[in-house]
Amino acid sequence: MFPTPIQKAPPWVRMAYPLLLPIALIVWLLPLIGVAVTSVRPVADLAAGNYFGLPSGFAGVENYTAVFRDSPIGLYILNSFKVTVPTVIGAVALSCLSGFALAVYRFRGGTVLFFLFVAGNFIPFQILMVPVRDLTLSMGLYDTVTGLVLFHVAFQTGFCTLFMRNFIVGLPFALIEAARVEGVSEWRIFRFVVLPLMRPAIAALSVLIFTFVWNDYFWATVLVQGQQAMPVTAGLYSLNGQWVAAWHLVSAGSLVAALPPVAMFFLMQRHFIAGLTLGATKG
Amino acid sequence: MAEICLRGVRKVFGGVSVIKGVDLTIADGAFCVFVGPSGCGKSTLLRLIAGLEDINDGSLSIGGADMTRVDPSDRGVAMVFQSYALYPHMTVRDNIGFGLKMTGHPASLIEERTRNAARMLRLDPLLDRKPAQLSGGQRQRVAIGRAIVREPEVFLFDEPLSNLDAALRVQMRTELLALHQDLKATMIYVTHDQVEAMTMADTIVVLSAGCVEQIGAPLDLYHRPRNLFVAGFIGSPTMNILPVTAASADDGRVVVTLPGGVALTLRAPDVPRASFDTGMRLGIRPEHLSATGMGDATLTGRVRLTEHLGSETLIVVTLPDGAEATVKADGLAQARPGDTLAIGVNAAACHLFDRDGLAILNGDLRS
Repeated sequence: MFPTPIQKAPPWVRMAYPLLLPIALIVWLLPLIGVAVTSVRPVADLAAGNYFGLPSGFAGVENYTAVFRDSPIGLYILNSFKVTVPTVIGAVALSCLSGFALAVYRFRGGTVLFFLFVAGNFIPFQILMVPVRDLTLSMGLYDTVTGLVLFHVAFQTGFCTLFMRNFIVGLPFALIEAARVEGVSEWRIFRFVVLPLMRPAIAALSVLIFTFVWNDYFWATVLVQGQQAMPVTAGLYSLNGQWVAAWHLVSAGSLVAALPPVAMFFLMQRHFIAGLTLGATKG
Repeated sequence: MAEICLRGVRKVFGGVSVIKGVDLTIADGAFCVFVGPSGCGKSTLLRLIAGLEDINDGSLSIGGADMTRVDPSDRGVAMVFQSYALYPHMTVRDNIGFGLKMTGHPASLIEERTRNAARMLRLDPLLDRKPAQLSGGQRQRVAIGRAIVREPEVFLFDEPLSNLDAALRVQMRTELLALHQDLKATMIYVTHDQVEAMTMADTIVVLSAGCVEQIGAPLDLYHRPRNLFVAGFIGSPTMNILPVTAASADDGRVVVTLPGGVALTLRAPDVPRASFDTGMRLGIRPEHLSATGMGDATLTGRVRLTEHLGSETLIVVTLPDGAEATVKADGLAQARPGDTLAIGVNAAACHLFDRDGLAILNGDLRS
């Protein structure tokens, strides 16, 4: 069995384990701890160059209040939701359909189409910066939430389709055939047989895409200029003053901005069910 | 009425011919079993009838209507899969009623038919369970229930019992037969198990390498195999096949020289004299050889191994020319490996096959 359970390891490993594990954990979490500590640091600490030492006092309340008072972070977070939620729904819904088609039907060019979806993932998105900006400009979608959503949906659907297609291929095909012989229409097979079994895949993909899109900074700065469409990742930058970097505020804002993906994960957690198709077929 | 008619049906998978022109008529209300070794195309043939694979050439009609290019949903057939293929996220009740619900039947009708099917298959206490909470036999019954409620004219079974243990298989076999008598629908049943084929079918179709070898009632196949393949496939333990030389004798008889030079005279009144030749094969079933040496001719060989099954003993004997023969003897037979055994041959039960493996003489004990 791999990895060996810690109870069966040699004694010195068992001794070292409870000591080393917390250390490893702290090292791993150090950046996050740094941000968290900075977010409660009084502004004077930063002015005095106390970036990594113990905070001279607790200024959490002031800092977090300042984030909401001095910047339109509420609007930014709302924008982020306006971009992320439709993107997740759009990309996952489209990829459920395209994944089903690619997994279940054999048609001319099907394999080529699938490889196109896969190949799309290998395009470094930075090279798309100028053409995509020009495209959104000419479509009148520059500096709008819609423009961001459309681009994200288009760009994420490739990976989602790959993911969904592979998941559906793993489902017992006899289920689809059984439904066909029973006279169930193809759409209803998708809706009532395949879709319920895709729940774990939909949940996993939703969390993944939510996090991807929520954390996107690149396109938020390329396709948006004004406050009215600015997502929180790019918007946080405005917390820095024109002359002074207000790291304590940026840190506090970052933590606030990081909460929704975490919440999303816990919301979706109960759908990550292994063995949903248990009992469908023998063995 | 649901007579099934296949005419010159062919199926090619990626350049490989899997079904090589099958002509077959299955009478309305028949229980027809497709049997053959793995890869002979029996499941493919069933899937062609179900519409799950496209027929490349030839035609298929069900109940007189051409179904060659019709979608599976419109063929009026129900299929039970080897893997059961139950919808894992639905309860037993929903599994059984799903097809009816999706095709727009009223809830009251679905409820009534589900209840009837559940009673028939003794699934009543399980209706609210999910497939994962059922045993193999129960899942199998749900799969059958799902087929029954649609009241189809044709049932297709794809090795439905192969995942069950031996005792359950015997029980389900009788239940399926009872079901066939109740419903009087046409049933096609695919299996590689010739015991299932012999016990359940009223017509057996023996398939090999995509071709029909023989079609007939179980005992006809047993007593009058048309060729070496059917002779070897039907019956357990398998028929003994011995290389022989045959020469025609007077008044419709033929003299066959057995391994070891023993001559055996067979009655072959209807066989033309010219068919007899060297290099022929004689087939005789283990139960038609006697370990006591009594018979129309006697072979002598050395016992290689014995299998004591209680009710009977199978004795494998090495003959003088190195060929082997199996003798089915009484359960109390005393033969031991190394013994010399005299084997009596019953001439009336001998089959004779020509160089091409086709039967020219069938020793049908019934006639």
